[in-house]
Order: sequence, then C-alpha cells, then structure tokens
Amino acid sequence: MTTQTARTMINLSDDKVIRARLTEYLLAQTGTTWTLGVFNRYSVGFSWITYGFDAQQQGDTQPQGMILRLGPPYGLFAPYSALPQFAALKALEGTGVPVPKVYWWSDDASLLGAPFFVCERVSGSAPVPWVSGDTSGFEEGWRKEIARQFVSALAAQHRAPWRESPGFEQFAHINEDNAALVQVKFWEEAHGRWALKPYPMLRWAMLWLRRNLPVAPRVSLVHGDYRLGNFLEVDGRITSILDWELVHPGDPHEDLGWAFLPQFTGGSGLVCRLVSQDDFIAQYEREVGFKVNLQSLHFYRVFSLVKLALTHLAAVRCFEDGQFNDLRMPAMGTQVAPVLRQISKLLQ
Amino acid sequence: MNNSFERLIDGMVATLRAEIIPKIGSEFARGQAFGVIYMLNSMRLRAAWSTEFYLEQIAAQTALRDALAALVEGLDAPALPQAASGSSSSPVLEALRNANEGRISDLIVWLSEQGPQIDTDKATAIDAALHIYMNRHLKHELVTSAKPMFAEISAGAE
Repeated sequence: MTTQTARTMINLSDDKVIRARLTEYLLAQTGTTWTLGVFNRYSVGFSWITYGFDAQQQGDTQPQGMILRLGPPYGLFAPYSALPQFAALKALEGTGVPVPKVYWWSDDASLLGAPFFVCERVSGSAPVPWVSGDTSGFEEGWRKEIARQFVSALAAQHRAPWRESPGFEQFAHINEDNAALVQVKFWEEAHGRWALKPYPMLRWAMLWLRRNLPVAPRVSLVHGDYRLGNFLEVDGRITSILDWELVHPGDPHEDLGWAFLPQFTGGSGLVCRLVSQDDFIAQYEREVGFKVNLQSLHFYRVFSLVKLALTHLAAVRCFEDGQFNDLRMPAMGTQVAPVLRQISKLLQ
Repeated sequence: MNNSFERLIDGMVATLRAEIIPKIGSEFARGQAFGVIYMLNSMRLRAAWSTEFYLEQIAAQTALRDALAALVEGLDAPALPQAASGSSSSPVLEALRNANEGRISDLIVWLSEQGPQIDTDKATAIDAALHIYMNRHLKHELVTSAKPMFAEISAGAE
C-alpha cells in the first residue's frame, strides 16, 4: 500500500478505525498488547487532529492517559511532519519547561493515515486571550504567578540545548547569522501557496523584513506560537505548554515578538493578559542569560504580524478550497486588514 | 472580506446542515434553520459583493495612478493601476481590483530594488504615494468590516 493510497483510505475522523490501527501499531512497537479506551476528539485548533484516550499495557495495573495528534493532509499548515514536535518535546524533557512526555511518532501515513505522535495526557484547562464585554481580568495573585511561570518556561526553553538531540539534523545549517532569513524565506514560500490575491501592504512588509534581518544572540528552540491559549493550567500552576507544530531552531526574540502581539492582550495592555512588557523582559533577561535587543524585538514584532496575516490567508485558502466548512476560518480572514493596518502603524 | 461570496454561502449552508441542525431539539427551530438555508441558497443565485465596495477600492487605485503618473515618467517602472471602464459587474470589478493590487505590489518591489538609482526626492514621493494608497485601502476595509466576535465564537455564548 502506498502512502497516498493510505491517506485516501483512512478517515481521520473515524475514531474506531484510528483506535484499531493505533492498537496494532503499539503492539508492533512494544511487543505487548494494549487496550485502548474510548477516543475523545478535542475540538481545538485548525491543524492537527487531537484525540485523548486511556491506554493500558498488558501487565499494567492502571491505564495511563494519552494524546494522539494527527497532521491531516488538508490541515492549515499541511503537509506535516511529526518529527520536529517529537524531537523538541523529547529535547525539552527535564529542562524545566512543562511539556508532556512523548512516546512514539511516525511520518508514515500508511500507519494511521497521516503523520502522528503519541504523548502523555496532561491535566489542566487553557485560559484564552479573547474576552467578551463582560469578562473580567484574571485574579491578581493568579495572574502574577502564572505570568512568572509563563516567562520562566520560555527562558528555560530558550536555554535548552538541542543540537545534539536526535531529530534536528534538518536544522543543522541554522546559525545566528541566517536564523531570521530562514524564517522569512519559509513564510515567503507560504505566502506564495496561500494568497488568493495580491496584498500590497504585505508585500511591502515582507521586503522590509528582508532589509532588516537581525543577527540572533543564540539559536534556540523557538515554539512559534507561544501565547495565552497554548498552555494548560491547574490551580495556579502551568502543567504543560501546548501546540508545538511550528517549533524550529531560531532567534529566541521570535517567541517574544509573537507573545507581545496586541491580539493576545485581550484589551488589558499586558502581554497575553498576564504581565507588562517591561516586567516580562526584566524577568526573561535574568533567566535566559542575554539582554533583549530592542531592534531585534521590533523586527520580530513586524515578522509576527506578517506571520499572523499569512496564517489568516491560510485559513481563507483552506476554506475557499472547500477543505473545511468551519466558519472560524473565513472569520479569521476578516482580520487580514486589521493586521496589515497594525503593520503600517508599527513601521511608520 | 477575503473569501468569495459563493463559497461563504456554501460553507454556511454546510455548517447549518452538519453541525447545527442535528443538534437542535425543537422541530420549529429546525424548520427555521432550513428556512435560513433556503434563503441563503436564494441569495447565492442573485447576490454578490457590492459594486460600491470595489468601486471605492478602484477609485483609490486610480488616485494612486494619477499621483504616480508624473513621478514615474521616463523611468522603467511597472504598469500603473487602471481605472474602471463604464458600468461593470461585481466579478469584473473584483478582477480589476485584484489586477491593480498586483500592479501596485510590482511597483513596491520595483521601488525597493531600483530606489537607490532613482532621484531621492522622487523616490520619497513615490513611496509616500504608495503609503497614502495602502492606508486609504486598509481604512476602507476596516470601516466595511463587522465588529469581530472571536470571544463569542470561542466561548459559544454572548
């Protein structure tokens, strides 16, 4: 069976089929029988399909909670590979970054119909950046403690070694001098695939990025979507940083530029409704081991807005092509102009 | 709006059928939802994005053309935006708007590459005209957009 055939044959929304296939896979991987409980599909995100389930290995007395993430060929950022996420999560185990343990991965779509990885299921809920009119701010003590952990986890992520870890061979060429250019090229290529029509302001901003590429203070693991909404929390403790699908080695300023986007302030003026920019930078510098370069931060604010506009264009493209009927996608498309306006103001 | 009118109607109808109607407990409410589908399908046959929306964008592009014409005279610049001719349908205006956006993008790239070879005052004036256009265009997009409802979409409640 070819990979392409497998893709067309396996319905990734059919949890019974996925469950049966994963049971076979786990037997092949471990040599023992596994009993998998009911698969619950989480309705978050536009890209990877996420299932939660209990898994019990033959001989164990208790089941353990697991997560299966599948990268469908029709997802927002397809085509996918599970390797960067698996490699990053593996590299970050034991570094102080709260991440789930990862167990297995494969990019062979003949197995489950799409690239996938399996990891530990971590408990918690995800506070979101979007607020409606009557939503109050976070409780002060909770906010400050979560903010401290939020900044601390990012500093730990940016300190973590990755070059010697398995799975990063494709990123070996990235260094302090070309980290920004590699990312700009990546998103330029995405622009070519997604844009249904030309956007002059976007073109202008992308040329500005080309003219203002910074040198990175180091090459770190960059999350790529580090923000409120992408971590789990229980009783004032961040239990896990989520959604690593854009992870890559790069300039650590990139994660700051993204987290500082006005879209995530919820009108509070705080980074991700949690902490002032000055307090964020002060704590981050104490923990990460280098001074934040304000010119680099400016570059990555612009870069992040460009990336956000392009993500909205990806949603427009996916919806227009009929791959999804999820009305959140055209709704995202309405935000292209506001984001371009922010770019214009930032570069005035 | 970045998605086509027809595709938005199709997506809304599909969402009503697959995600909303099966979860409605009241027979009357389900009937009302099918009424919405019927009206959406009717609109799909007769309606389109308004010509006024495109005409304002093309007017801004034409104003940019007028501002740039003298500035790029004698230079090897890309083609300038074109004005609308007579009364045109919405799809024709949309195609012209998009073609003009392509020409303006080409001008931006050209200025970026050729700027150092162009007289400084002239290059600054071209850059300023492009920015006046882009800001006018974006303001028009914003005033013709509804108030976002992402909190409601995320929470499933007002």
